[in-house]
Amino acid sequence: MSELDSSVHPAGASGAACEAQDGHCITCSDAGITMLVVEPGGPSSVCADEDRQLHEVAVELVAPVQIGDQVLVHAGVAIRRLAV
Amino acid sequence: MKFVDEYRDAELGQVLAGEILAELDPGRHYKLMEICGGHTHSIYKYGIDDLLPANVELVHGPGCPVCVIPMGRVDDGIAVAHNDGVIFTCFGDMLRVPGSEYTLLDAKAQGADVRMVYSPLDALRIARENPEREVVFFAIGFETTAPSTALTLKRAKAEGITNFSCVCNHVTIVPPMRALLESPDLRLDGFIGPGHVCTVVGARPFQFIPADYGRPVVISGFEPLDILQSILMILRQLRAGRCEVENQYPRVVPQEGNLRALEVMAEVFELRPHFEWRGLGFISQSALRLSEAYREFDAEERFEVPGVRVADPKACQCGEVLKGVIKPWECKVFGTACTPEHAIGTCMVSPEGACAAYYNFGRFAREREAV
Repeated sequence: MSELDSSVHPAGASGAACEAQDGHCITCSDAGITMLVVEPGGPSSVCADEDRQLHEVAVELVAPVQIGDQVLVHAGVAIRRLAV
Repeated sequence: MKFVDEYRDAELGQVLAGEILAELDPGRHYKLMEICGGHTHSIYKYGIDDLLPANVELVHGPGCPVCVIPMGRVDDGIAVAHNDGVIFTCFGDMLRVPGSEYTLLDAKAQGADVRMVYSPLDALRIARENPEREVVFFAIGFETTAPSTALTLKRAKAEGITNFSCVCNHVTIVPPMRALLESPDLRLDGFIGPGHVCTVVGARPFQFIPADYGRPVVISGFEPLDILQSILMILRQLRAGRCEVENQYPRVVPQEGNLRALEVMAEVFELRPHFEWRGLGFISQSALRLSEAYREFDAEERFEVPGVRVADPKACQCGEVLKGVIKPWECKVFGTACTPEHAIGTCMVSPEGACAAYYNFGRFAREREAV
């Protein structure tokens, strides 16, 4: 992954542009978004979305996470670490 | 992106469409319900129904969290938002849902401090940054979103934050499905199961559908090939006379769900005795409220709310759409008085609502057919 957006949106993506992957607006309450862990941490990690925008994501429910893990994020919280 | 691009291959889609055709009994009409609004959105966005034979009908279920919120609950939220000193936060699509008189966006225009957030964690951050203000989060959603609210409340409690509270409207998917299966005016042959809800709750809660009602369920992903494959799997079950819960989406959905998320939810929430669903009426034990241990964060305890049941506008047929009894375009006000810009009903507000999804994508196919 290259050219990541260097600004991290805290605890979700509320500063980001409205349209996200799949045509869903990321402000929708029920859009699940696949993100890539780029800076693991606890309880929150920095993750990149499909548009390489960075977000702070709570990862307690799927911890531990590593760089390169893909996680499914709902409303700022990762609910599943995806099998690779 | 991995897990995305490979599931949007148009040629493979055509192959699956051919396999679906080969699986059908030409003399039978198949009625399959996709429960989740995310599936509804994908079906219209990718034109999946255009790939299906005429005797395979997709019916849209009640799994859009915004669509099922009754007007009275919106009024409760607006009443809280109008309190002096309150910062009222909610998801973006909730802002435009009509209450009995107006929306949260209108309340904002009138001077209420209403802010859109993506995550309840954003709302908690606002509370940290504004210790002199009361910050309220209007929580909606199924089991996909409820863990986010639960985790946020756990953090609030651990940090001793006292100016944060929640209007809890979280709902659970199984009770309305049971209500639909009991409904005499809806005959369904199978269900496309809600992939992301199952990520949290697992496959087991859906076992009652084949066991008690003799209908197959296939838990499905949200990409076009996922949905087509799930339809094929349902049809194969029907043809073989099998009836079970199958998982088309194992790359995301574990059989047992996310146990840590379930634990957090069990600590923070308890079942409400009953809750009103838009179009479906009151359903027992179908929604969550804060548990005794977290009652101090309950905005309904902290603020006065009207708590009045409000009937839907007569012209609006969201109830029938949510139950799959009518198609979005069969509603009297679809696309005329009710559009995404000026929604009367909830199904036209959220991108996951059947009416909005159809208005944004599907109607063009029908217009082409008409020409």
